[in-house]
Amino acid sequence: MRIALAGNPNSGKTTLFNAITGRIEHVGNWPGVTVAKKEGDVKKELNRSGMDIRAVDLPGAYSISPFTSEESITSSFVRNEHPDVIINTVDATSLRRSLFFTTQLLELGIPVVVALNKIDLVKKKGIVIKTEKLAEKLKCRVVETSSAHKKGLSELIAAAAEVCGKGQEAPFRGAVDLDSTDEAAVEAVDRERFAFVDRLVSEVEIRKTDSAAQTMQDAADRIIAHKYLGIPIFAVVMFLVFQISQVWLGPWLADYFVGIIDSFQGRVEGLLGDGVSPLLSALLLDGIIGGVSAVVGFLPLIMVMFFLLALLEDCGYMARVAVVMDRYLKKVGLSGRSIIPMILGTGCAIPGVMATRTIRDLRQRRTTAMLTPFMPCGAKLPVIALFAGVFFEDAGWVGPLMYFAGIAIIIIGALIVKNIAKEGPAKTFFIMELPEYRFPGIKRAAISMLSRAKHFIIKAGTIILVCNAVVHIMQTFTWSLQVVEEGMENTSILASIASPFAFLLIPLGFGAWQLAAAALTGFIAKENVVGTLAVVYSISNFIDTEEFVLVSGAGDVASALGLTSVSALAYLMFNLFTPPCFAAIGAMNAEMGSRKWFWAAIGFQFGMGYTVAYLVNQIGTLITTGSFGDGVIPGLLAVACYVGILVYLMYRKEQGAAAGVKEAA
Amino acid sequence: MELALANIFFNRKAKNSKAVKQHNLTHAEVNRPYVIRGIDTDDRSVKDFLFTLGCYEGEKVTVISVLADNYIIHVKDARYSIDRDLAKAILI
Repeated sequence: MRIALAGNPNSGKTTLFNAITGRIEHVGNWPGVTVAKKEGDVKKELNRSGMDIRAVDLPGAYSISPFTSEESITSSFVRNEHPDVIINTVDATSLRRSLFFTTQLLELGIPVVVALNKIDLVKKKGIVIKTEKLAEKLKCRVVETSSAHKKGLSELIAAAAEVCGKGQEAPFRGAVDLDSTDEAAVEAVDRERFAFVDRLVSEVEIRKTDSAAQTMQDAADRIIAHKYLGIPIFAVVMFLVFQISQVWLGPWLADYFVGIIDSFQGRVEGLLGDGVSPLLSALLLDGIIGGVSAVVGFLPLIMVMFFLLALLEDCGYMARVAVVMDRYLKKVGLSGRSIIPMILGTGCAIPGVMATRTIRDLRQRRTTAMLTPFMPCGAKLPVIALFAGVFFEDAGWVGPLMYFAGIAIIIIGALIVKNIAKEGPAKTFFIMELPEYRFPGIKRAAISMLSRAKHFIIKAGTIILVCNAVVHIMQTFTWSLQVVEEGMENTSILASIASPFAFLLIPLGFGAWQLAAAALTGFIAKENVVGTLAVVYSISNFIDTEEFVLVSGAGDVASALGLTSVSALAYLMFNLFTPPCFAAIGAMNAEMGSRKWFWAAIGFQFGMGYTVAYLVNQIGTLITTGSFGDGVIPGLLAVACYVGILVYLMYRKEQGAAAGVKEAA
Repeated sequence: MELALANIFFNRKAKNSKAVKQHNLTHAEVNRPYVIRGIDTDDRSVKDFLFTLGCYEGEKVTVISVLADNYIIHVKDARYSIDRDLAKAILI
């Protein structure tokens, strides 16, 4: 049998889904995290019915009539796909609002079990709910649950199994054959529905305190989401996240971890012995193990970072960040909802880009999909960490600077797109339920962290491993399949492919083919930048096990790479702010649904990455050495070309703009 | 013809006076319950969406706090953050 989980946004559907299926879907303590339906089998230990039960997690909805795209997924699923049972998760702290949707679900004739979720919060708030009476009035089973604390789950599944196959009586029935185009009539019915819910709630619920009263939380909000303080607080929080993950805790864990990798590499070397061809052993040791371990070495650091980000999300802080950022995003023509994809994008750009479908306005949705990848994602963290360690002595400010640079580029990009598209956006509204602050679940954060780590390791063991092997082979052989001679590295396949690109990068301060090759492999997966650098410069490990610093012999690595701190910063920013990896580019293509927008986005991202790197390198070089770096004129021409195109597009005649928009739509 | 003109004139007048008289949530005092008098928006779906949150005429609403450009409002035992434009559309 199939159970659909439906309920209001942030009522805990995905938490419940994860708890009953043992899956680890991304959960956020804020609305709008789930944008597509997800399925999973209910765990055996919760399911005593003997039937196979499959659960379907649906995006949050306030009503059965679809106003947002997530709501339409939910309503079309419960209406058309005939689930056997609907579990309606209800936030027990706001029955007056939640039961509106419940009464609509009860009309469908599909058996409904109400999961009275967040029941622990109800008790804390001094609210008393007469559950039995509620069940009697709603004419369906009601089970008290707390999905965050895994309470009431097996009772819930048992109730669902019991009602399976039975019909459902509706306690309140709006006229079924109502003409949905008759707005007044629909509204009248819905008004009655709310009145019915109000009467019902006053019978079953006793509130000791007025929920409209000011609480400590509201006082906290006034500081955390303050007009002027909000941004500095966010900056401090991000700085702490980086400081802890890269300077305080990260290196300590990485130390231990890299020790294991090192001994593994040593053991493989011993196993191979002398009988194996040196070519093969170099491929295995330097190419595959060396490259992969350079990437995997950063795993502890990334895990610490994701753990902290999960804590922030879980405690309710990220929802406040969305409120703080809303006004800035609106000024540049984005929707307040655009912040959600961007925050998800800090983990991985793909779910971030997918989350843009919650944005109603087409232009805003496409613009957000185009700009979300500028947010540094998890795969870019090893690159940031490497450069922070090698060139900036593990400075804690490098990471946050990259995030704020990303945000700045997003804002500039949004302004540019707003001026190019010229289309007055449909008036959009930002509405978001503010979740309550809560003590973040250590276990939940740990689970989220482990699932990220798992993805990271799988990726390192597949795509990155293969890429490193290919890179190693390509730099070992010439086109005539001869082994590259010592001192003739420029004749390798890799060098000849990467050199033309390297030429283009001279104005940015990094014209070496090795660096160009690393940037190129970065489009397959951004972690590859680190792996490829390790392979081409045969640095087996960036992380030192002797010293208590993140990157070993920072000076040696810096001289091997042949970059100044300025050009290193330029290289780092180039890798962060050019188009994302191919997988994320694919997601962008899917969400934009327009070739024209898609190619414009790719071009825009390339131009942006190039321009930012150019400016950082040339201006930085001018400040540090007193003169411009190499290739200032050709680079200037390229950047001027790019800016010229943007300016032309922004100021072209209105008529042309209108035609362009039409075509795009 | 005359009638039509008179109608236009009359409607415009009515509209103008309405704009002056009506208060919306941005004028609300923090922490004081108000009764919603109506939702003023051209966008039907916004009105319908607000309705599903329990935000419609006759319901009680309280502004809990004003954060940056967002208003934290309390409707039907739940709290939402809404932006200034939306707050303007909620007449009290």
